[in-house]
Parts: sequence; structure tokens; C-alpha cells
Amino acid sequence: MNAILVALAIVPLAATILTWWTPRRASQVITILSGIMVFGLSLSLVPTTGAGRFLAAGPVLRADSLSVVFLIPTTFLYGATAIFTAGYLHPPEGEAGRRYTRRFFAGINAFCWAMVVAPLANGLALLWVAIEVTTVISALLVAIDDTDGATEAAWKYVLVASLGLGIALLGTIVLYYAGTRVFGASYDLSYGKLVAGAPRFPKDVVRLADILAVLGYGTKMGLVPVHTWLPDAHSEAPTPISALLSGALLATSFYGILRFFQISVRAIGPSFPRNVLLTFGLASLLLAALYLLSQRDLKRLLAYSSVEHMGILAIGMSFAAPLAIVGVLLHVIAHGFAKGTAFFGAGAVVRKFGTKDLRRIRDGTQVLPWSGPMLVLAVLALSAMPPFGLFRSEFLIVAGGLSDPPDAVAAVLVVLVTLAFFGLSWFTTGTMVVAPRSSHALAVERGEPSRFIVVAMVLGLTGLVVLGIHVPGQLSGLLHRAASELEVAR
Amino acid sequence: MDARRSRLHQAQLAPAAIQVLQDLTIVFGAPLISGVVAHIEGRLQGRRGPRILQPYYDLSKLFRKETLVPEGSSWVFLVGPIVAFACYLIVPLLIPVLTTYGLPLGYMGDILGGGFVLALAGFAVAVAAAESGAPYAQLGASRAMTFGALIEPTILFVVFAVGIITATDLPYALAATVRSSAGQIVRPAHVLAAVAFFLVVLADTGRIPVETHSGTIELGMIDEARTLEHSGAPFALLKWGSAMKQLILYTILIDVFVAPWGLAGSAGVGSVLLAIPALLGKAVILGCVFAVIDNSFSKLRLFKITEFLAAAFLLAALAVLVYYVGGG
Amino acid sequence: MVHPAPSTFTGAADVISVLVLLSEFAMLRAPLLRSQIRLYAFQSLVVTALAIVVAASQHIGELYVLAALSFLLKVVIVPAIVLRFLSRAEVDLAGSSAFGVATMTLIAIAVSVFGFFSIGALHLRSTALPSTALAVSVAVVLVAFVLIVLRSDVVSQAVGFFSLENGVSVASLVVASGLPLIVDVAFLFDLLVAVVVFGVLMRVHHGRTKTLSTEPLDQLKG
Repeated sequence: MNAILVALAIVPLAATILTWWTPRRASQVITILSGIMVFGLSLSLVPTTGAGRFLAAGPVLRADSLSVVFLIPTTFLYGATAIFTAGYLHPPEGEAGRRYTRRFFAGINAFCWAMVVAPLANGLALLWVAIEVTTVISALLVAIDDTDGATEAAWKYVLVASLGLGIALLGTIVLYYAGTRVFGASYDLSYGKLVAGAPRFPKDVVRLADILAVLGYGTKMGLVPVHTWLPDAHSEAPTPISALLSGALLATSFYGILRFFQISVRAIGPSFPRNVLLTFGLASLLLAALYLLSQRDLKRLLAYSSVEHMGILAIGMSFAAPLAIVGVLLHVIAHGFAKGTAFFGAGAVVRKFGTKDLRRIRDGTQVLPWSGPMLVLAVLALSAMPPFGLFRSEFLIVAGGLSDPPDAVAAVLVVLVTLAFFGLSWFTTGTMVVAPRSSHALAVERGEPSRFIVVAMVLGLTGLVVLGIHVPGQLSGLLHRAASELEVAR
Repeated sequence: MDARRSRLHQAQLAPAAIQVLQDLTIVFGAPLISGVVAHIEGRLQGRRGPRILQPYYDLSKLFRKETLVPEGSSWVFLVGPIVAFACYLIVPLLIPVLTTYGLPLGYMGDILGGGFVLALAGFAVAVAAAESGAPYAQLGASRAMTFGALIEPTILFVVFAVGIITATDLPYALAATVRSSAGQIVRPAHVLAAVAFFLVVLADTGRIPVETHSGTIELGMIDEARTLEHSGAPFALLKWGSAMKQLILYTILIDVFVAPWGLAGSAGVGSVLLAIPALLGKAVILGCVFAVIDNSFSKLRLFKITEFLAAAFLLAALAVLVYYVGGG
Repeated sequence: MVHPAPSTFTGAADVISVLVLLSEFAMLRAPLLRSQIRLYAFQSLVVTALAIVVAASQHIGELYVLAALSFLLKVVIVPAIVLRFLSRAEVDLAGSSAFGVATMTLIAIAVSVFGFFSIGALHLRSTALPSTALAVSVAVVLVAFVLIVLRSDVVSQAVGFFSLENGVSVASLVVASGLPLIVDVAFLFDLLVAVVVFGVLMRVHHGRTKTLSTEPLDQLKG
């Protein structure tokens, strides 16, 4: 019984219950404290799991190196978003506002709770349950603003994501069936068992399970062509929710895919799971790069950037070289930091200008003296500029792809990423740096909407720089350890 | 007494005699079935209903009447009913009417062949109706052909299902397969094909969800309308033929799909003679089922027939699929 | 390739699962939202019956508990929730669809053919494997997709999702009957949560647009 795991599962849940009852200020403090505490707890797991041990609490919770890799961005964004929310939230006055605040904080805590539990769940069945819970809670959070756009986005999101998860459940059940050949009719779907028994699973059945799982969890992760909910939900949700969706939720779904990958490669060899991921990854990267060139909406721009990065993750996994897998895992963490920061910046812009329309936002770096430049930096980080963490991770992925034998896809990857870079930076520099000329641009006063937003962004950028310049030794150990869990002979 | 019975039991009928009996059963049983069903249907609707033997009286009366031919119509008008009747005489030779084993002429044509002969009969009636020049007869003929074309895919898939379950296309083989085990009856491919065929029969015997098979509402008529211009002996042949077609379809549904029990397993006189009332009894029960269905649902609008037939097609297609994938 | 007749149990299970598929087709056809919900209840009842058949034939006591729970949830509670929502909404009780019934049926047949053949292509055929039921459940999932895509009202779409879950339930009953009860219960609980969220969102949608149609939901593009 590991106390840290239990605490990780209980603290956000307790915060959920508390914030349902407490007034706004207390809720803010509770959420921030819970976020920071959970982030600290998950960092404390790094040394042990990085050394190759796994921790367990009862039959339900289990953490190994791979889980902790995914815990880090989630819990960091939990804390950072809590801080950001304190500055971002402007509920209406009176009873309606109180109700809104209560729902918002309880919802955000519950959402993060589900996302923290998902990587800790021991077994594919519980993982599925946790991810489905994230869907339903976050759908309510997307709809919370009660605008036409939010309602539409929430409906599309809950429908598409639920359908995807239905497919993933089918995949889980098919995999269970594969296991019955080895373990007998009744067993639990825990990872240790599945990984150990995988080589004796019937191959065709595992193949079916792998496709279903990638398609199903891929829907939630935003892989093209099942990404359709993503831009809508990201752009219409309140900005803190957008940050969590993009930085943490997509990663959690990717975690589900990786668990299936881990089992599949042991059962049927690497080539089939790799090709599945490669197909989805290339489609995502291509489509996202093209959409990035024609965006009018700041948050949609960032949403398509998420699709792009999910494509990079899938392609990186399909290289399956040890170096590339380390890169993919680092990319998960760095993307969480960078996308969170970028959405925080977008939140500041939206609060300041009152619009998400890129044509009407001008001269952001002047109007927002702190968060403006930091948004530009975050976007540069998302475009994999040094010295940020994404540069290192994408470098590792491409290097892994080019290591023996060189994979032509690596070259395609570089081209498409460059294309995406153009789209992303073109619009951002246009809005943030260029001085206003057209009469569309809104005239607003100079100044930051809130100090909390700046703090949250500073935290994110700091993390990115640390990851870019020098990955701490223990974290590096964790990444390599987790990569070795997924590693396969090419 | 005992000696006579056992002699009767041991006496064998020549295959040719059984074949003749098959035809005679259908020819003379068909009006009986129509009569019984019409009687019961009358009771269902709260009427006393016509006499059970009424169809026989009708036929004998019609044969004694004079034959009128519309002005301008050719010999086809008179030949059509005869061709149709001949077709209905051929089909019983191909299907298991009385025996479980195939009779010599049973191998003359497979299930598709039987279907073709039935279609030829329909064609002959339709041509004769068209030849009459009367609008309602032509309307009935064109509708019958249209719906026939819509039913066709369903029948084809039913045939496919039968074909892949038994690896032959002989109706006898399917009946034998169904009898072989309980598993054969509950296997989805068989259940689905049987239900699809049930719907086909429902549609093809004038019980179609849009048709009023008895009565005088011309707009709801299909089969009945085709014969409006005929009189005398040709009309009698048409009516008789239509009753035979109904019994033939019932026989296929009963003896091939649903309940192929009670058939003679040998050429013994006793068992063959027993098979006749068994078949007629089952046909009466089936006819009552149809009558109940027909009277408990309201008719659909004419163009809704595509929905009904789409449902039948769905079942038949699923039957093939289910079998193809898992041997279901 | 003549397959021998399946055992009576497998045959019965297969027929029941085919019934699930047929009720999915019926839902596709049903013009009235209420009849669609009743069909969903019927479909859930069939799934419950399948659970009992599997429990009885494989002697898995836990499945009786599951059958009872799934009856309570899927036959009683979920339809009741949606019906109550409908009777409060009091608007357009007939759903709308993009195509005629025959066209929809043909599309759905084509889609389920794809499902059947893709399962068939895996060559899962063996004595122990009820691949018919597995293929049927995949077909149910695909037809549910067709339902959701072609029907343009929120209730049909939600019911489509619930019935998709029924399809997955069929798969889990047939190929994973030994799944621990706690996991099954977790799945059911999850469905309940999803139903509540769907209900909330349907109410929000109806509150904003005064209609159940999804036609107003076309603002977000690109």
C-alpha cells in the first residue's frame, strides 16, 4: 500500500467535494493547493519509478515509470491552471455567479482527479473507466459558459468522444478475449499480467484490439480523421478548460494508446502497431499543418497545433527507436507545459480584447506587457524553437527516425512541422507584434488583466526552458526507463 | 383387418404415382385451403364467413359459364391463363410436397428453377391482363410486376442462404438439413432466411401490407385486378392458379423452412397418404397465421411497400452474412 | 465451405445477438422519438436475456447480478429519463433524417456488411469462438454510427450512443463472459454518468434553441 498513490487519488477528490461547498476565494486556494500538492507528489514518484520499480496500492492503483511520465504534465497543468483560473475567472454577480463558480471549481477538480487517476489505474478496464469519466466531466465544463458555441461544441464533443470510447471499450473487450486463451475465462486486465502473457495471445485478435483501441482512444486524442470535436471544444470552452483539454487530456488518451501498444508489440511484433500509428499520425500532421495556415481564431489555431503535436507523437512512436520513444515521452511533458502556457496567454488576450478573432487583435505585446511576449515565446516553443523543451524532444524524435535504418517519414515529419511553424508563427506575430493598421483592430488600454495569469505563464515557460536546456538527471532516468518499457526490436 | 393394414403398409407406391399425387394434392387441396382460410378470416372479422367448400362451387360455376373476350385482344388473352396454370402444375414436382426424399422429377430443377417457373406464371397472367386493354387490369399487372421486381433480391438472398447452408440448391436438401438437429433450427442464418421468406410469402399471396386481397377496392388491388376482364373457364383457371400458387408458397415455407415434419419417409402407401392431410393441416394453420397478421395490422400506403420489402431484404442479407462470417 | 450447425446454445445466443442488431435497424427506421426509445428499451431487454442465457449455460453466477443491474439501468432508468425529458420538451416528437427509410436501410446494410467482412477477414473461425456474435456486435456499433450520422436530432443521437453501448455489451457477454463483475458494474455506472451528462446537455440545447433538431448546431467550422 503506497501512501503517495492513495494521496494522489484522494487529494483532488477531496478538493472537488470541498469546493462544491466553499465560497469562491476558499475554492481558489483549495484548488491551487491541491494542484501544487499533487504536482509535488507526482514528482516525488520520479526517483523510485525511474529506477525501474513500480508502486501499487491495492489491486486498483499502480504506478510505473510510464504512468509517472504522464502524471507530470497533468499535475503541473492542474496547479498552473488553478493559479491561472484565479486571475481569469469573471463570473457574473449574484446567485448565478456563485453557482457558476461552484460548478467551475468543483468541475475542474473532478476533471483533474479523473486525469490523475487514469495513469494510476491498474489495468485497461479501469483506465477506460477513468478516461470516460474525464469525457463526461469535461463535456460539462465545455458547456459551462452556456453560449450557442459552447453548447454546440459540448454536444459534438460528448457525442464524438463517447463514440470513440465505445470503440475503445470494444477494443478492450477484444483484448480481454485474447487473454482468455492464456489466463482462462476470468482474470483482471492488469498490465503486469497482460504484458507477461502477451506473447502467447492469438495474433489476429490482438490486431483487431489494437486497431479498435487506436481508433477509439485516438478519437479522444484528436488524431485525424476522428479529431472533429477537438477544435470546437478547445475554442469554445473557457480557457482554463482549453488548457487542460489540450495539455493533459490529449496526453491521457495517448497514454491509453501506449498501453495497448506495449501489449500489442509483445503479442504481434512491432510492424503492425507501428503502421497503424504512422497512418493516423501522418494524416493528423498533414491536415493540422494545412489548417494552421488558414485560421481566423486564436484558440482554434492553438487547437490545430494540438492536433499537429498529437500527430508528431504518433509518428514518433511509429519510429519505435529507443531515442525516438524517449523523445515522444519528453514531448508529452513539454507539450503539456507549452500548450498550457500558450492557452494562458490566449486567455489573457481574450480577456483584454474581448475577442478570439485574429484579425481584430493587434499589437498584443504592447497592450499586454508581460503575457504578450510570453505568449509569443510559448508559440515559438510550440514551433520547436530552442531553447525550449519541444526542440529537444522533436530533435530526439527526428534523430530516432533517422537512426538506423533511416526512415523517410522523418524527412516528411520535418517538412510538415516546418509548414505548421509558418502557420502558427505567421498569425501569432501578426497579432502580437504588428502595430494596428486596420480599423477592425480594437483599441484597448495597456495593462495585464491579472497577476495570476502572469505567474502561471512564468511557471510554464520556466519548465520549458529547464526541459530544453538540461533535463534533470532523475527525470532523464525516468524517461529512459519508461522508453525501455515500450521498446521493441525494430 | 391387421393383415390388410400391414399389406397396405408394405405396399409401395411407384415414384411416378407419388409425383402425380403431389400434383393432385396441390391442385385439389388449394381451393380447400383458400376456403378454410376465407372462412376463418370471416369469423375473425365477426362475419359468418363463406362456406369452406365455396371455392369449389365457384370454380365449377365458372367453368360452365361462357367465355367473353374483349374486343381487339388477341389469342394471348386466352392462352395466358392456361400457361400460368401449367406452370403451377410443374412447380409441385420440384419441391418436397409429400416425401422427404427427392423424387425423380425433383431433380429436374433446383430452387431457382422453381422460382423461374413461378415467375413465368406471373408473366403469363400479366401479359394476358395487359392484352385485355382494360385500365384496372393493366394497373394490376404493372403493379404486380413492379413489386415482383422489388421482391426479387430478397428471394435471391434467401436462395443464397439456403445454398450456403446446405451446399446445394435443392429444396429437399434444406428440408433434410433442418430436420437433422435442433441446432439447425436455431442457427441465425436459418431463422433469418425463414423469416425473410415468410415476409416474401406474405407479400406474394396478396397479404401484402398494402394490398386488399379480397374486396372491391380497385386502388388497393394488385392480384385481383389483373383478372377483372376474364370470364368463364379462363377466369376459373386464373382463380384456381392463384389458389395453387398460394398453397405452393405455403408448402415451400412449411416443408423447406419451418416444419418439414410429417412428410413420408418412404414410398409406403400409408405414409404417403398420411402426408397429404399433414400438409393440408399445416397449410391451414399457416393460412390462419397469415389471416391474423393481415387483419391485425392496418394497410400501409402503396409507396411504403419499399420499407416492408427493405426489411425483408435486410433479414435475407443478414442471413447470408451471419453464415459467411461465423457459420451461424 | 459448409459449416456444421452450431450447438443449440451458441445458436440461441447468436439469434439473440441478431435480434439486437435488428432492433438497431428498427431504431434507424422508427420515425417517432418515443418509439425509438421503446426500441432501445427492447434492445436492452434482449441484451439482458442474452446475459441470462450466457449465465445459465456457462454457470457464471455473477452474470445474473449483471443481468439484474443492466435490466434496472438500461430497460427501466435510462428510457425513463429520456422519456421524461421528451414529455417536458413537448416539441417535434418526430425525429428528422437525411434520407428515406429504404436508403438508410441499404446504407446500414452496406455498413454492417463491412463489419461482418472485416471480422470475417480476421479468420477467427474456430470451434470455441462465437465469431458470429462478435461480428454482430461490431455491426451493431457501425449501424449505431449510421443512426447518429443520419438522424439529426439530439435524442436520436443520444439513443444511438446508448445502443452502441448495447452492442459492446453483446461482445463482452459473448467473448468476455468471465470479465470480473466489478469491471462490468463500473462500465454500467459509467453509462449512467454518461446518460446524466447527455441529459443535461440535451436540456441545455433545448433550452437555448427550443428544438431538439441539431440543425442549429452548424456554427463552428474550419
